[in-house]
Amino acid sequence: MKNLWKVILLSVVVIILVLFALGLENDPRNIPSPLVGRPAPLFSAPALDDGPPIVMESFRGRWLLVNFWGSWCGSCVREHSYLIELARKTAKRNDFVMIGVDFKDTKEGGRSFLASLGNPGYRHVFDPDQKVAIDWGVYGAPETYLVDPTGIVRYKQVGPLYDGWFEQIALPIMEKKP
Amino acid sequence: MNIKKPSFALLMLLVVGLWAVPSIATEQHEDPTEALVREIAKTLRCAVCQNQSIYESNSDLAKDMLSVIRTKVAAGEPESAIRDYFFQRYGDYIYLEPTAQGGNRLLWIGPFIALILGALALFSALKKWQPSQSRPPEVDKDAFRNRLKSEMDKID
Repeated sequence: MKNLWKVILLSVVVIILVLFALGLENDPRNIPSPLVGRPAPLFSAPALDDGPPIVMESFRGRWLLVNFWGSWCGSCVREHSYLIELARKTAKRNDFVMIGVDFKDTKEGGRSFLASLGNPGYRHVFDPDQKVAIDWGVYGAPETYLVDPTGIVRYKQVGPLYDGWFEQIALPIMEKKP
Repeated sequence: MNIKKPSFALLMLLVVGLWAVPSIATEQHEDPTEALVREIAKTLRCAVCQNQSIYESNSDLAKDMLSVIRTKVAAGEPESAIRDYFFQRYGDYIYLEPTAQGGNRLLWIGPFIALILGALALFSALKKWQPSQSRPPEVDKDAFRNRLKSEMDKID
């Protein structure tokens, strides 16, 4: 009986320590997205370039990279050169398309961001009251979603994309699923 | 003393006036939709501020989430549907109070299990600490007497 209690006490302490160790790895700012593996929210939203509205469903049949950004976001500046490079690199792929969502921003802010840092060439949704962003479960910038040709979210990147992200993260997902 | 009277009367008037203020304040009636908006927003966690509800937070995201709730309430969506809308997008992180479902159940039941285990441990420990009343230690009286005698003899 005495030993039983010792074992119970010891295992409780061990369990607490293990949970604590696992918890240390967690970033409280990183909220796992329940959208991964589920259909991406559809939208038809105004464009930053004042052109025709951007309709989510028009990208069906292609892999879609949706990048949420804002001119107010420092990490987006850091990420921008990679987005330009990625857009250039994937321009010839007819199974892959990129769009941006400029949220919580002013039109002037968004446009001058692109004018000064370079325009990657793809279109941007203009989402000043972050309706689209909230619909996608965005809570910071930059955040990027990879959506498969059937409209299912396959990956969410919280924080900036980095050199080699496409080859390391996106390509393996795209090649696994037809 | 006489000179001070008017100012005292003025002071009393002010004090009485202050008493009346809350009764005026409570006369404002809240819009029932706003009450529901508040009820929902108070249970949802602002996604960028760790432990504040959407209703209490001043962050831009919380304000925009609040306006999404307001739009949905105005459109007549039930409370459960609105809560579920945020749950589908932000996961159970969004609930300030964890739901009693799935793995979360452990959070709710865990403390009670710990309490029961603790009570059992205390009970068994208390039982052990009690002096055993069954029998006083038996002393072999003859052996004791003999031993005492021989010790005394040694001294002599």
